[in-house]
Amino acid sequence: MNKKILDIKNLRSKVDETEILKGLDLEMNKGEIHIMMGPNGAGKSTFANVLMGHPKHEIIDGEIIFNDKIINDLSVDKRAKEGMFLSFQYPEEIPGVTVENFLRNAKMTLTGENQGVFAFRKVLKEKMKLLEMDESYASRYLNQGFSGGEKKKNEILQMVVLEPKLAILDETDSGLDIDAIRIVSNGVKAFSNDDNAILVITHYNKILDYLEPDFVHILVDGKIVKTGGIKLAREIEEKGFEEFK
Amino acid sequence: MYNENLLNNLSFKEYRLDKLKKYNKLQIPKWKRINLQDFDIPDYREYNNLQLPGHEDLDIRDMGTVKEDINEFTRYLRVNEEFGVDKKFVTLTEALSNSGVIIKIEKNKRISEPIRLDFKMDNDNPLLLDHNLIIAKRNSELTVVMDYTSNTKVFHSGVTKVYAEDNSNVTIIKLQRMDEDSDDFDSNIAIVGRDAKVNWVSIELGGKITASSFITNLKEDNSKADLKSIYFGDKDMEIDVQYKMNHFGRRSESNINTKGALKDRAKKVFRGDLDFKKGASRSKGEEEEYVLLLDKTVKSDAIPALICGEDDVEGEHAASAGQINELKLFYLMSRGISESQAKKMIVEASFKPVIDKIPYEDLKEKVEENIHRRLIDEKS
Repeated sequence: MNKKILDIKNLRSKVDETEILKGLDLEMNKGEIHIMMGPNGAGKSTFANVLMGHPKHEIIDGEIIFNDKIINDLSVDKRAKEGMFLSFQYPEEIPGVTVENFLRNAKMTLTGENQGVFAFRKVLKEKMKLLEMDESYASRYLNQGFSGGEKKKNEILQMVVLEPKLAILDETDSGLDIDAIRIVSNGVKAFSNDDNAILVITHYNKILDYLEPDFVHILVDGKIVKTGGIKLAREIEEKGFEEFK
Repeated sequence: MYNENLLNNLSFKEYRLDKLKKYNKLQIPKWKRINLQDFDIPDYREYNNLQLPGHEDLDIRDMGTVKEDINEFTRYLRVNEEFGVDKKFVTLTEALSNSGVIIKIEKNKRISEPIRLDFKMDNDNPLLLDHNLIIAKRNSELTVVMDYTSNTKVFHSGVTKVYAEDNSNVTIIKLQRMDEDSDDFDSNIAIVGRDAKVNWVSIELGGKITASSFITNLKEDNSKADLKSIYFGDKDMEIDVQYKMNHFGRRSESNINTKGALKDRAKKVFRGDLDFKKGASRSKGEEEEYVLLLDKTVKSDAIPALICGEDDVEGEHAASAGQINELKLFYLMSRGISESQAKKMIVEASFKPVIDKIPYEDLKEKVEENIHRRLIDEKS
């Protein structure tokens, strides 16, 4: 039943003349949860940003095949329309645009279908409940004045509302307390199904207490140096990344 | 054409005559900054579109037909120093205003609902020279909304004088939504008393040439002024805005916050002065202008100035221009929103806090609709 959703071949990227990704290969199938770990500076966030099409990062070699399409040159919004989603490590504050209006707008753009105000509000409220978010967030300006934890929850809220095919979670667990990690993980678990795939980028292990990944990848110096199961993550927990450097 | 005969039957004849003499001696200005040259002031016409609002607690009169208290009002009409976009346009309106109101609020009166003045211009009323006088007596509170619109090419030269006497609080909200071929010259001055505050809100959307000037004299101890403005320029619009806070009183405070967006070949000059006069000790002033440049073909100049005749003051100024923050764009686009839609969202969001100051829903919607429509219009 498994179907390939992402196929990355020899991906190399640079930012301001510095090469960061140095030949990264990765395959993901629908229904899978992957975890990518690695020491600081390995290129984890770069990888997430390159996938989504960050304007400062340039692909210098390799291919990103998403949904059987090479998306190297696809604009950011078109990647989103193909079903890609990035949960930002540092979400931008957008004053003047409320969470509800923004999400309704995005949902309409992504689906090409009108979203009735009341029907959409109902869905939004349900998802907020799942993430233990107060309803008042819906009418607040996007990320403005949100705490670090609130911003991360808000990213997950966007994920569960927009229902992407591939969700990339860039350090979504960092800066969260145990309760917040549990809530976010439950959100991710509830979202995961046979038709989507999730890539969790992290350098902590805490989230592994809640999520059951199919694969764990170790990223060092712009390359995946080892792939395994949950046991690999436990090993890292004990010994650190030293032996892979 | 602009001669004494026009003054027959108008109030403040002596004052007007004096101004007319000055007007006739002055040349029409040339402004290099926005390329104003060989400008012709159109022929005099009557203006008959203003409906005088009524309010039981206010003294509201038509500037053209005042018969009583002439001396008292003339005292307020005379402003000793130079102000406004240019002497020529100011004296034109002072001499020959064809519209305008006097609003006086007595001491200790506080009126929470705003007073609305709609200055509509059209083919039958293509020339508006409005001279307005707003007097807030001690410990009073008043909000006035002035909405300038036209559906065709018109000429507007306005003068508004505001007196906020001790401990009063006056808010003036000005909207300029004129036709894109129109010319707009708008001059404003406020004189602020002890513990009094003037709040200016300026929304500049229309016109081919749009020049506006807001001068505030913080005359006494603890005088305060706040100016919030937005402007939107597209096509070949030329926008010239001048904001000046003159600090005379001790511990006087001022704040200027301007946001703009320029598109197509629009051109803008922002001049913002914080002038701390000798004696204005422990005063504070802040000014900030931020403009979003939506096309490479726009031109934007900002000249913020800090003038200190006194040591013990705090002044801060900042002006910056930029493309839309690309990380914000990246964030919005990662949710499927197109680049142009994301830009539109960011511009509209940055204007929203100022638009929200408009106390009428219908006007708020019209302003939002105006900006939205012009942002959608990809290339003009």
